[in-house]
Amino acid sequence: MSYLHAPRLVFTGDFLSDVSTVNNDTAHYNNTTFKPNFQEPGKGATNGWWNPEGGAVFDFQNCAVKQVFLPDGTTQTSQSDDIIIGQAVVGAQGRPTGKMVDLDPDAQMFSALWCVQLRICAANGDLLFKGDITTTSFRDLQMRQLDGGKSNGQPLGASWTSVITNVEWGPLAEQSAFLKALRATTQNNTLAINMNPFGYYYNHNDGRFSLGRIIGSIGPYFEGEPLTFAAARRLYGINYTASARGTYFSTSNFLVEPDAKRVSVDFGASFPVANSIGTINYNQDLRLAVSKVPQTGVASRQTPTFYINPNDFIEIGALGYQSDPNWLNQTGGIVSFNNLPDATLSALSNNQLILITPSTSQPGQFAIIAREAIDGLVARADNFIQRLDDGQSVNIDFYAYQWGKPLPNASISVTLDPPTPDTPVSPQNPISEIYGNNFPADGLTFNGQISTDPKGKAQMLLAGNAIYSPRVYIDGQIYFITYQTATVDQAFGTEQVVVHLRDYFQEIAQPVWDDISEMMIQYSNLYPIMSKYVVNLADPMALAEKKNILIFAFSRDMNDTMHMPVTRDLSTTKRNTILNWLNNPQIAPKGVVRSDAREVRAANPVAPGTALTDKQTRYREAVKAKNGSFPGFSATNDLFENL
Amino acid sequence: MLQIDSKYIEKALSANALEELYPLLQNAVELEHSTIPPYLTAMFSLKPGSNLVQRQIIHSIVIEEMLHMTIAANILNALGGNPVIDQADFVPEYPGPLPMGIGNGLIVGLEKYSTDVVKNVFMEIEEPENPLVFKSVSLAAMPTYSTIGQFYQAIQQKIEELAPDDLPGDKAKQVTSSFFPADELFPIYTKQNAIDAINIIIEQGEGTSTSPLDQEDELAHYYRFEELYKGKRLVKDPAAPNGYSFSGPTIPFSPDDVFPLFPNTKTSMLPAGSEELNRMNEFNTSYYSLLSGLHTTFNGQPGMLDNTVGVMYDLKLTAQKLCAMPFPGKPGYTIGPSFEFIVPVGS
Repeated sequence: MSYLHAPRLVFTGDFLSDVSTVNNDTAHYNNTTFKPNFQEPGKGATNGWWNPEGGAVFDFQNCAVKQVFLPDGTTQTSQSDDIIIGQAVVGAQGRPTGKMVDLDPDAQMFSALWCVQLRICAANGDLLFKGDITTTSFRDLQMRQLDGGKSNGQPLGASWTSVITNVEWGPLAEQSAFLKALRATTQNNTLAINMNPFGYYYNHNDGRFSLGRIIGSIGPYFEGEPLTFAAARRLYGINYTASARGTYFSTSNFLVEPDAKRVSVDFGASFPVANSIGTINYNQDLRLAVSKVPQTGVASRQTPTFYINPNDFIEIGALGYQSDPNWLNQTGGIVSFNNLPDATLSALSNNQLILITPSTSQPGQFAIIAREAIDGLVARADNFIQRLDDGQSVNIDFYAYQWGKPLPNASISVTLDPPTPDTPVSPQNPISEIYGNNFPADGLTFNGQISTDPKGKAQMLLAGNAIYSPRVYIDGQIYFITYQTATVDQAFGTEQVVVHLRDYFQEIAQPVWDDISEMMIQYSNLYPIMSKYVVNLADPMALAEKKNILIFAFSRDMNDTMHMPVTRDLSTTKRNTILNWLNNPQIAPKGVVRSDAREVRAANPVAPGTALTDKQTRYREAVKAKNGSFPGFSATNDLFENL
Repeated sequence: MLQIDSKYIEKALSANALEELYPLLQNAVELEHSTIPPYLTAMFSLKPGSNLVQRQIIHSIVIEEMLHMTIAANILNALGGNPVIDQADFVPEYPGPLPMGIGNGLIVGLEKYSTDVVKNVFMEIEEPENPLVFKSVSLAAMPTYSTIGQFYQAIQQKIEELAPDDLPGDKAKQVTSSFFPADELFPIYTKQNAIDAINIIIEQGEGTSTSPLDQEDELAHYYRFEELYKGKRLVKDPAAPNGYSFSGPTIPFSPDDVFPLFPNTKTSMLPAGSEELNRMNEFNTSYYSLLSGLHTTFNGQPGMLDNTVGVMYDLKLTAQKLCAMPFPGKPGYTIGPSFEFIVPVGS
């Protein structure tokens, strides 16, 4: 079961993400080279980017339930059909909003939602249901906006998949047949949710600064399934669009339900849109089909398009999106084909789904826009973003599927990526030396060869060991750990487990200000909203004065929305040391000179200037594209040309 | 002279059963809340890092109004009633009168900080039954009139008269917090607890009849505001008639470091589809979230109070950002937080 299963609902609206941006620059973490103008809005490393006073707030705005899909294959779109349609989807009530934060300045591709509450309410505030969205990070970043993000500045979209727990059914829930069916279907009082954010505004345009569009769907959850991705089959884009230097329709989840004779494809995260609010401005003839022959094409500039002969596929049907420019917002981009013929279903059981369009350059042929993963194979890590202290360990859960079914005995190899070099100060890196990632290698311990069990699941124990400031002025280290099955589908590539391993630090029972000042000054530098409006984190007297509220915030559980620091980047020992100081603020300097006889910091094993791997280079470019420091995207006017 | 509509005091004094005090205590909860938006608006208008004494004094008073609201709700619960905080009529329309006809028509708005507002609004709200006059005005005989303090005294008297020693309310509903000293915010289990708690409200607001200080030796609200108005600290002065005079250190004030909030900004004044409107909606969403969170807190889930503290920070940060935003179409003004009761809706 998943967000694609029936009964499911679709909601659409806006999200507010007031992320802070001073911390988008690694060099801004260096207290010794920090300058006040790094807190001012403006592009370039010597400024604070587009939202230096961000407070990390994430919230739903203007979101409403658009339609529901029932197990019998019908779709309802009117409140006269079900009371839940048209109702507001809103965030927390009586507690702070959720938060959106990156893992680390060296790992900005996995922006995570923390502590987000989702409620569906009638106009008078009466509740249908509410619950808590389990922490989840971006996956599947992809190109969305054909206008290149001209107005908003960010043409990419992504997905957050998660589960909703602590579900409470409100007084109106009984009045919704849909909710009754959902409640009866789902397990463990948990729901599956997927949300596709796109159209985010870095720019103060259209009255939408710090807003983006979000399309969500909520369906039943079954125990034992992954929490942060759907146990679904996947389509990968293989049509190269030159202006985008890549593909559209890059990744889409889909579900085949043989008993219901149905296929449901979710284009909510991938359907190209004209603008930041999700308008569709083309009417290309797009069809779904099952390929009778294996498709292995991978998009490239050299071979931008792959073709298929009509004899080689079984057509399922055309995507009927053309009648309404608002189709995506209304339907969530999920298309379901019911009552499939047995032959089609049978073919789908071990053949690839394809998204095709009639070719103009090769009449009679069809161009393949997207194809299913080779051999229908999907293997992903579930809890792939980790924060670890030394001495802590965690089981990373992997799930493998073939043609949508759990795949036993799938071998998965897991490898720490090579170290990246330090970057010395230069005209391109004007503020401070930036240190590399993925070293020292002995910071993490794991078994790099695992195999799935009869249920298609494998676990890998990942343990953190003591490391000693490999990045000097930023706590801990970022490790990218690539995993792959025996064959890699290059249309999607590989994915990674990404770990922030905190520095070894011995808790100080009776700290003086000098023991915590570097940490607090760094927070003060990076989060001006705190020092400007709440308390000057760099001023021990001010901290002492506000110690009660600070003790409150620093002693919250990490899954509490009021947890400090909001970035969740402090080790337990450092956090406890701060708490120890707040409980007994000693402002006078230390009597004895602090022993600097700490362990020697691990040297970067690679020299500055060492070439990055292709993947690391692409990653750096992608970070720039995602965090607003990419110089400019171009518009796509050739989406379906030359096919 | 600031008056409360005497019918509320008569209602209290004529009560024959504890239930008849419920609406009056509900009024008290509403009254204590109603002063917070005007005070906060003035405080948020002070530019960050400037006018620090003004900020500190208003903040200290707001915190005590929150305490008074909590105490009033605790007493209502202790007597067996149910505070209602999440309804539209809980929030006053600003500008407008405060609940219970306080101030005999005193119109309270949401405005930027100014010494005029301090004098003409805040000091009026907090004016004691017999303000002690320090050094500048003659001690003329005061006419008799009814104050908020007298209203609380009437309730106190009736609780003394009507309530059993062990109060009937569900003890699990009492709200306490580590953010307040235990001798100021304590659970109301007994009649004596209720009487002691009401004394705290009266004295923090008005002082005692002989001293500007309350039992914690802090200046009552009225005198703290008077310090801001006079720009001088009120200090002990053996030579002065009442033992105190405004002869302490000067309180500097920089009017340039106050954001020029458009008075009584409303959501409807902001252009549709504007960033400013979105920010205002964000603010009122937090405000609604806060009120509903407090409602839950005072209706059987006292542990929720901690969460509402977090919402207060959300609200504060959004308000401060609003105050710095130029008001579209109103040159020379910025946007004030509107404190409107708006249930967030879908599109």
